[in-house]
Amino acid sequence: MALEDPQWALVQADPEKRSFRVHRSAYKSQEIFEREKALIFGKCWLYLGHGSELNKKGDFVTRRVGGRDIIFIRDKSGEIGAFFNTCTHRGAKVCRERNGNARNFSCPYHGWVFSSEGKLVTTNANGGYGEDLNADGHLDLRRVPRLENYRNFYFINYNPNAISLHDYLAGARDAIDAVCDQAETEQVILSGEHSYSIRANYKLLVENSYDGYHLVSVHASYFDHLRDQFAGTPAASMIDDTIASYNTRGAARGLGMGHAVLDSYVPTGRPVAQWLPSMGAHLKAPIEARRAQLIARYGEERADYIADTQKNLVIFPNLVINDIMSITVRYIEPEAPDFIKVTAWAMGPAEESEELRAMRLDQFVSFLGPAGFGSPDDIEMLEICQDAAQHTPVEWSELSKGMDWTDDPRTLSSAPDNELQMQAYWTQWDRVIRGIEKLERE
Amino acid sequence: MAELLSRTEAEDFLYREAELLDEWRLPEWAELYTEDATYEVTSPTTADPVNADPDRTLFLISDRIDRIRGRANRLMKKSAHAEYPRSKTRHLVTNVRVIGGAEGGTRIRSNFAVFRTKEDTTSVFMGEVYHILVREAGELRIRRKRAILDLNSLYNQGRLTIIL
Repeated sequence: MALEDPQWALVQADPEKRSFRVHRSAYKSQEIFEREKALIFGKCWLYLGHGSELNKKGDFVTRRVGGRDIIFIRDKSGEIGAFFNTCTHRGAKVCRERNGNARNFSCPYHGWVFSSEGKLVTTNANGGYGEDLNADGHLDLRRVPRLENYRNFYFINYNPNAISLHDYLAGARDAIDAVCDQAETEQVILSGEHSYSIRANYKLLVENSYDGYHLVSVHASYFDHLRDQFAGTPAASMIDDTIASYNTRGAARGLGMGHAVLDSYVPTGRPVAQWLPSMGAHLKAPIEARRAQLIARYGEERADYIADTQKNLVIFPNLVINDIMSITVRYIEPEAPDFIKVTAWAMGPAEESEELRAMRLDQFVSFLGPAGFGSPDDIEMLEICQDAAQHTPVEWSELSKGMDWTDDPRTLSSAPDNELQMQAYWTQWDRVIRGIEKLERE
Repeated sequence: MAELLSRTEAEDFLYREAELLDEWRLPEWAELYTEDATYEVTSPTTADPVNADPDRTLFLISDRIDRIRGRANRLMKKSAHAEYPRSKTRHLVTNVRVIGGAEGGTRIRSNFAVFRTKEDTTSVFMGEVYHILVREAGELRIRRKRAILDLNSLYNQGRLTIIL
């Protein structure tokens, strides 16, 4: 179909009216979902996993990414690889575990065996094949066309001609740096994961993940809980003071290529360097020591940014790294226009002490995850948005807050409770889905 | 060493806990817990969930008493959007076994199935629970409760916003 076909004009920006809106079919249409699978998930860099998940040679995890099942593995020479999880013979999955350690993968159907580097080792056949059957390697496990990493965050791309991950990440590299630089050694994925689902379009969770505007309305009961916890401590007035000044500090910043980060200030405490009385007196000194180390390493300005600013980062199209009361890496897998699977991990510095690690995990579950005091309320909002989008005739969603640009919002900044970050995302989405942004090497 | 509870005493207590939850009398449920109590639900993928340590691995729920009370109080509010309108729940508690003494009380192992209906969607949470029950000032209290789900993810249930 023609790219200029008006039926694909799903994102409308009108600078004169300061209006930015998205047609709700973008959240619910099967046809658009199929187009996204080809043009968004077939051409963008997609998060696969973190190098720290594969510590030893032979460690692997299996994961569905953009609708394709992948084996993410550190092979026996120590190299990290990504293969499609299907036998090149008759198609069975060669790996049925979610994670583990393997020297090779043996297909359960007819016994073909593949090495950790993906080489076909044996067909276990008693005759019947020519000697040169796999001379060109076409029967080795199929490698994902592109696998690249930035600071141990591994991404794949199903388009062999895609631009480099480095170029694709654009300004998001600096946002990833601000997370990674908290560690003296390196940031690692911590033990355990949250896997849950939401009956909503993946872009509704993207929008929510860095939405400053919803904080007070959706999370009122979480702030009530914090007020109870802080009662009688020097932090007692912090909640209301910070909420009152929320819009005066920080920014939503477009990072290019549809990525954006929300920098804001919310007094939830931060394991990196913001101590609160509710964490316990014993943690005050170690947390202050961490701030001193950050200042020594990066200078006061960068250290303050790393330590104090809450960062909600979305890497287009479906990776969220929220460095808030704890750090979460949240991967969104769209299964249908109205159904997503979410996998979320906690991240922390490898060198962290036992007591700080315990506090980090406690902070995580206080708000995040499918049983926390925050995320489930967000999820409910996404599900009622989806339900209403599918069962009412109202055509457009209005994302105009802070719309004061005329040309391209993708590298602009705005106040934390505006919707600039979503305008940046949808502008990229519109350009990719129309084929204007090809994301390919020249 | 305190005398162990009988199975009947343990059952009566667990049925009472289940009743408070199903009747959404959550502040009363929170009162069942000691000041040093924990209420935990391990993540479905946790290795060795009986012995896993929430200080080292990510749980779904790892509450001390302040958050046990906070969870109960939050769920009573209309602003706890995830449970508004409130779910209907039914806790079935079975296979109750007294397995020994621990931390000044009795360690109980039981199986559970919790049916949750939110609007027109029903989901089931199933698994086992380890309780440690202690007697304080003549009343039985919960010092430890750890629920372990027989699941590999929450893909079918979506989220866990009720108390198991």
